[in-house]
Amino acid sequence: MTHQLVRIGFLGIAHLHSASYVQSLLTMRGVEVVGMWDHNDAIAAEWSSQYGVPRFASADALLNAELDAVVVCSENAHHRPLVEQAAGRVKAILCEKPIATTVADAQAMIDRCAATNTKLQIAFPVRFAPTVIELKRQLDAGLLGEVFTVNCTNHGSMPGGWFTVPELAGGGAVLDHTVHVIDVLRWFFNAEVTEVYAEIGDSLLHPGLGIDDAGLLSFTLSNGVYGTLDTSWSRPPSYTIWGDVKLEILGERGVIYADTLHQYITVASNAAGKTRWIGYGSNIDRGLMTDFVEMIRTGGEPSITGEDGLRAMQVALAAYESARRGEPVRL
Amino acid sequence: MQRIGLIGTGAIAAIHLDGWRRMPGVELVGYYDVRPEAAERAAQRYGGQVFATLDDLFAAVDVVDVCTPGTAHKENVLAAAAAGKAIICEKPLARHLADAVEMVEACERAGAPLFPAQVVRFFPMYKQVKAQIDAGAIGAPGVYRSARSGSFPRPGRDFSAPHYADFNLSGGVVLDVAVHDIDFARWCCGEVERVFARGLTFSGKEFQDHALILLRFASGAIGHIEVSWSHPRTTFRTRVEVAGNGGLIEWDSLDRPPLLYELYDDAHGFRRIGGSPTADEDEPYYAELAHFIDVLEGRAEPIVTARDGLEAVRVALAAIESMRTGKVIAMKDFGG
Repeated sequence: MTHQLVRIGFLGIAHLHSASYVQSLLTMRGVEVVGMWDHNDAIAAEWSSQYGVPRFASADALLNAELDAVVVCSENAHHRPLVEQAAGRVKAILCEKPIATTVADAQAMIDRCAATNTKLQIAFPVRFAPTVIELKRQLDAGLLGEVFTVNCTNHGSMPGGWFTVPELAGGGAVLDHTVHVIDVLRWFFNAEVTEVYAEIGDSLLHPGLGIDDAGLLSFTLSNGVYGTLDTSWSRPPSYTIWGDVKLEILGERGVIYADTLHQYITVASNAAGKTRWIGYGSNIDRGLMTDFVEMIRTGGEPSITGEDGLRAMQVALAAYESARRGEPVRL
Repeated sequence: MQRIGLIGTGAIAAIHLDGWRRMPGVELVGYYDVRPEAAERAAQRYGGQVFATLDDLFAAVDVVDVCTPGTAHKENVLAAAAAGKAIICEKPLARHLADAVEMVEACERAGAPLFPAQVVRFFPMYKQVKAQIDAGAIGAPGVYRSARSGSFPRPGRDFSAPHYADFNLSGGVVLDVAVHDIDFARWCCGEVERVFARGLTFSGKEFQDHALILLRFASGAIGHIEVSWSHPRTTFRTRVEVAGNGGLIEWDSLDRPPLLYELYDDAHGFRRIGGSPTADEDEPYYAELAHFIDVLEGRAEPIVTARDGLEAVRVALAAIESMRTGKVIAMKDFGG
C-alpha cells in the first residue's frame, strides 16, 4: 500500500497522553511527526529530545511548517487558544479530553473549527479498546435485550502537577474521569445524559490537594437507562495498577461485567517494591491515532466530534453544580 | 510485495489465511494440497488459485507456508528449499529429530529462510512475560511453570485430523502441544540440560493423553510443564509463571476475562461466557506471519529461528523418551 505522507505537529505536550500518542505516530508508516511546541521550555526540551521530534520556537512557527494536522495536548485551559490558533491553518485537530474547562470555551472551539473548515476530533481512546468495541457490538445486537442500568468506575491515580491546579485543569478527578465513561455510554446508547446528582470529595484521599479527588455520579440517560460512575483518584501508589474502566451493564436477559482494560500479567518485583499488573492488551492510543490519521488521509469526518467532547464535559460540569447545590441538576 | 503460497489447506491453514488475506504488502497467490478438493475450497473462500503441482506453486510465489500435518513437513520443506523459497513451517517442525535436522540443514545450505511457527512467542501475554524478564523485573529466572490443557482432538471433530490419534504420526500431546511451552521456556530460561516426564502417552488409554514434564536448564533454573489432551471437552486452559531471584510473574487464563457475560433465556438456559478481544494486528497468528514478512524485508530481527524450532522438537522428543523409559534424559547426548 502506498500512503500519502501525513504531516503532524504537537501543540502543547503537558498532558501525559502526548507521550503515548507520539510513540504511536512515530511507528506508523506514512506519518511524519514534523515538530512540537510547548510554552514550558523545560518540558518541551525534554520531550523533544526524548522522542527525537524537532522543537519549534513558537506555536506560530510550528503552524507555518505545512502541517496536515496538530495534536493539542496542553493543559486543559489552554485547549481553546491553541485550537483557535491552529484552526484554518491545518486540516484537522486532535484535542485531548476534556475538550475545555467551560462551555463557552468548548463552543468557541467548535464554532471556530466549523467556520474555518477544520476537522476537530476529541481524544477519547477508550472507544478504541477492543473490549469496548466488542461490547458495543453485543449491545447493538441486542444481547441483553432492554438495558436497565449501568454501574461504572473510572478509577485512577492522582496525577499531580497541573492536573491539580484549578485554573489550568478546570476540575480534578470528576472532570478528568467523567468524560471518558460518559462518552462511551453516549456512544453505546446513542443517548444523552438528562440528569446528574453527584457527591464530590475535595482533598478527600490526598489531604491538602486543593481540588476534587473523589466523585460519585448518579445519572439518567435519555433512553431511560440510569447509572452511576465512580471517578475517584483512589488507586494509591502501592496498588497494582494506575486505575480501571469498568462497566457493569444489567438488562432483561442478563449482565455484562466489563473490566475493559483487564488484560494483565501479574509482576511482583523486588526492585519495584510492589506487585503490579502489567498490561498486554492492544494499545488503545495507537487505535485512536490510526483512526485520526485515516480520517486525514481519506478526507473523512471525525469519529469523535467536538460536540461529543462538549456533551461529555457538560455532564462533569453538571456534577460540580449538583454537588454545590446539593440536588440533582437537569441537562 | 511478497507472493504467498500455502501447502496444506486444513484447520491451521484457515487461521493463517485469515491473517494473510488482511495483511498489507503481501499477495495471497494460491494453494497446493494432496487433496485438490480441499485446496479448491480454500481458493473459493480466500481467493487465489489451486496449483496442480508443487513446482507450479513454487514458480508463482516468494514465500511458501507449510500447513500440512507434521508428517508431511519434511518433503515439502525440502522441496521448497530446493526451489530457493522463503519457508514458514508449522510446529512441530517434524515428527522425528533426524527429519527436523535434515530440514534445517537443507534450508541453511540453500540459503532459504525457514521460520518455525512457534506462535506462543506472539501471544500478547507471553510476549509481556518475556519483556518483563528482559527488563529485569524478576531478576534471573529460577522456577518456570506453565500449562496448556485441552481435550483430545478426536478424529472427525473440528481441528482434529485423524493423525492426532496415532502416536506414530503425531507424537501425541507432548510433541504437538508441549513443543509450544518448551519453546517458550527456552526463550525465558535458556537451553535445557535434562528432562524427566511422566504421562498417559503410553498408558494405552484411548483418546487420553497428558504429561507432566520436569526440566533442568543449563542456567540452573528448573521448569515444570503440564500438557493435556485429557481435560473436559470444550475447555482450554493455559497458564505461565516464572519465579526469579528478584520477583515473580504470573498469568492464568482462568483469571477473570475483561468481558464476562452471564445470560439466561429459556432456549439456552444459563450461559456464562468470557471474552478477551485484541486489535486485529495483535491477533497472535497474524502478528507471527507479519513478523516473518518484516524479517524477510529487513524491518525486524527474527524473534524465533529454525534452530529454536529444532531444539523444541528435540526436547519434546526427549520428554517422550523419558516417559517411555522412565529415565532422566540428558539433552547433551540425546539424538532422537
